[in-house]
Amino acid sequence: MTQMKEKVICTSSLCKEYQISDLTIKALNGLNLEILAGEFISIYGSSGAGKTTLLNIIGGLDQPTSGKIVVFGHDLSTYDEDFLATFRSAYIGFVFQSYNLISTLTALENVMFPMELAGWSEERVRERSEMLLEMFGLSHRADHLSAQLSGGEQQRVTFARALANDPPLMLVDEPTGNLDMETGLEIVRILEKLKAKGKTILVAAHDARIERLANRTLHLQDGRIVPANE
Amino acid sequence: MSEISFPIKDLMRRKFQTALTIIGLTICTAATVFLVLFGENVGFEIAVVTGGRSTIGFSNVFSRFVFIVSFLNILAGVLVTFFLVYWSMSERVHDVGVMKATGCLASIAFGYFITELSIIIFTSCIAGTAIGVLTYFVCINVLNALGFPLLQNSVNLWTILPIFLIFVVASHILGTRPIIKAIRVKPADALSPLYSFEATSRKEFGKPVSSKLGLTFKMAYRALIRRRSATRRAIICLATVLTLTTVTVAGGIIASQTTQSYVERAVNRDIIVVGHSDVSMRYVNMLSQFFEAKETEEIDYLNLRYNLSESLISELNAIPGVLKVDPRLVLETTVYEVQGFIIDPEEPDPYILVGDNRSGKALVLGVQPDYVINDWLIFGRFLNDTDVYSAVIGDSLALEMFDDPQKQAVIVFEQDFEIAGVCLDPLNNGNVVYVPLNVLSTLIDGTHNYNLVFLKVNAPRRLEVLAEIEKMELAPVELNEVLGRHLAFLGYVWSFVMFLPLFSFVTAILCLLSYMMLSVAGQQREFGMMRALGAKPKMVMKIVFMEALIVTLISGAVGIFVGLLFTFAFLIPDPVISQFTLLSVIGLLVLALGLLCLFSLYPAVRVAKKSVASVLSQP
Repeated sequence: MTQMKEKVICTSSLCKEYQISDLTIKALNGLNLEILAGEFISIYGSSGAGKTTLLNIIGGLDQPTSGKIVVFGHDLSTYDEDFLATFRSAYIGFVFQSYNLISTLTALENVMFPMELAGWSEERVRERSEMLLEMFGLSHRADHLSAQLSGGEQQRVTFARALANDPPLMLVDEPTGNLDMETGLEIVRILEKLKAKGKTILVAAHDARIERLANRTLHLQDGRIVPANE
Repeated sequence: MSEISFPIKDLMRRKFQTALTIIGLTICTAATVFLVLFGENVGFEIAVVTGGRSTIGFSNVFSRFVFIVSFLNILAGVLVTFFLVYWSMSERVHDVGVMKATGCLASIAFGYFITELSIIIFTSCIAGTAIGVLTYFVCINVLNALGFPLLQNSVNLWTILPIFLIFVVASHILGTRPIIKAIRVKPADALSPLYSFEATSRKEFGKPVSSKLGLTFKMAYRALIRRRSATRRAIICLATVLTLTTVTVAGGIIASQTTQSYVERAVNRDIIVVGHSDVSMRYVNMLSQFFEAKETEEIDYLNLRYNLSESLISELNAIPGVLKVDPRLVLETTVYEVQGFIIDPEEPDPYILVGDNRSGKALVLGVQPDYVINDWLIFGRFLNDTDVYSAVIGDSLALEMFDDPQKQAVIVFEQDFEIAGVCLDPLNNGNVVYVPLNVLSTLIDGTHNYNLVFLKVNAPRRLEVLAEIEKMELAPVELNEVLGRHLAFLGYVWSFVMFLPLFSFVTAILCLLSYMMLSVAGQQREFGMMRALGAKPKMVMKIVFMEALIVTLISGAVGIFVGLLFTFAFLIPDPVISQFTLLSVIGLLVLALGLLCLFSLYPAVRVAKKSVASVLSQP
């Protein structure tokens, strides 16, 4: 008998509009989506299609203009900022295209940061951070600031940091966009490992290697999911 | 687009930053203009105001205060401008990069930013000067309405112009530096999202702070170190402003209480003057010259009907409640300066002549040293019973007519008196000479002994004493009311000077606010990142607040220490520091620092309110 997988993300008629002067831009336009636990979803779309907006709303970084978004059973449009912060800490691991490491912290401290926020013990935080850096081959760069790391290294630190609290959902935005072929391949391998671990992963990407890893690919255009050939 | 319209449009677009810079410089200019004008009227030229001099000794306290505060004010104004321009430019480096990348010549970009700087400086200096002059007139009118006839002098352009020019020139010189630095940044660096204007390099980071101090402290400390250059500037700027605040608060309170204590000691409490009403009133008028100009008829002090007999003195002495009787012979005459010598063994002729042959009108008082009821602040010593041809002179006389009074002598009724000391005395605006009574009496004709008696009475029995004196058909005059008006006058004058801490406090707020805005703007993306990782808005606010607290505490420690040093070392001789004074000063300074930190929450709240997605999407 096949075990029914849990529905981790569910959106209905999800809309997000931005107002720039007199112009209203519809970043998401009535989006309906269901994602099951352990799925690897690749989101494909041209610039401005709404990929980052969708990831931001799923991660509780932004609020929809209308529609419903339920992630791990929480209707995110009904919570305040404090709850959303706790929610992100517990459920979401973010990886951004521009790395977004905290410039004043070393690689190790960047990885430690989410665990410190979650209130883990100092010993446990250090132990896990060192383990994660080792896992990504960055032990020797632990005491370096982000400015002293290469793009690939920074992206790997971002992955280590995203995994710090062992979140069930990873939201990854253009992880290979700023990297060369070889370094990009390293990132693809990391994603492969995460998929094998059973994490639910949403990746906004233009990289065919990532698309190949995905269970499904969502094609976004003008804020809507469209069939692949459109 | 014309060369002027771009900078104006650019300034209008950045309303908040432009307003902050303009307000900061305006306040500094206004405070300095007000202080110098008010000081000219009340401090330097109080003589003109009251129709004589309040006493030069008192004026010196005011003028020193005005001078130190003006100096600090100019320094603070210039530093604040420099800092605000620096802050403004650090936010514009990206724009500079874009301008240069699109082919704009560095000289044209420089021209735009210099025009912006000039617009800000001229607007602020003109507005500041106008506000300063306006505040001055308002203060003078309020003082007049309260019963202190201060002359509303027309504003001296030569007083204002140098202040205006100092602010304009110094602000331009210091403001240009960060512009040049920003223009020199390579376009590639300026356009990089990782580039931070004058951010500290890794090498300069120093030892990482222990994480045991807490995550908030660690993040705040690192952020301050990361922007070490800006942090250092902010601390210097804030410390200068807080020095100014301390000098005005502590100096103002202490100077106010000290000058009031000088007057109180010189006049003394619970004193009743007994004598012929002509002499008593003349004396009271001379004592009132300190706060009120009154023309009174001159009298012939040697008129026999003003004489008080020995028996009367004995009767007054016998009144229950009279603690001390101080009979005096009071006269007005012209006194002359006598040159003196000082010895300098290093000179070929070791005897150096000091002084001149100046003369002036003074009130001469013959006193019996043992019975004197006053306790002046004296430089040197007062007379004693063995003194014969010795005198103590008032501060105005000493400063106007003598070069080195204690090495010189004064001629009274053709007799030389060695000057034993100089006293701070509001009587006749400090133009007084105290000599031994018997000597003065002999010098006149030997027939006059006393024409005024001062009684120190037991305060609770004051009314009984007055009734007894009236029974003797004498007209007693109480000096408590006159003393009260002296103190009130000083109190009012200082209370207006005490407006200055408000000015400097607002400057301090602006300074910290600018720094925090700069700091928050630089860290905005990182704060967004922290929130994406699970940090609550409160934590971001805590980090910003902690940064402000560290900067405020360091600047506060430096500023308050230097301010107190200035106050005690240069501002007031023989300061009166009661427990109340100390508590008031500490209380006000702690309140100022607390409020300062509280205001720094504004940028923290601002950044915490922004949506994470919008913060992260910014370049």
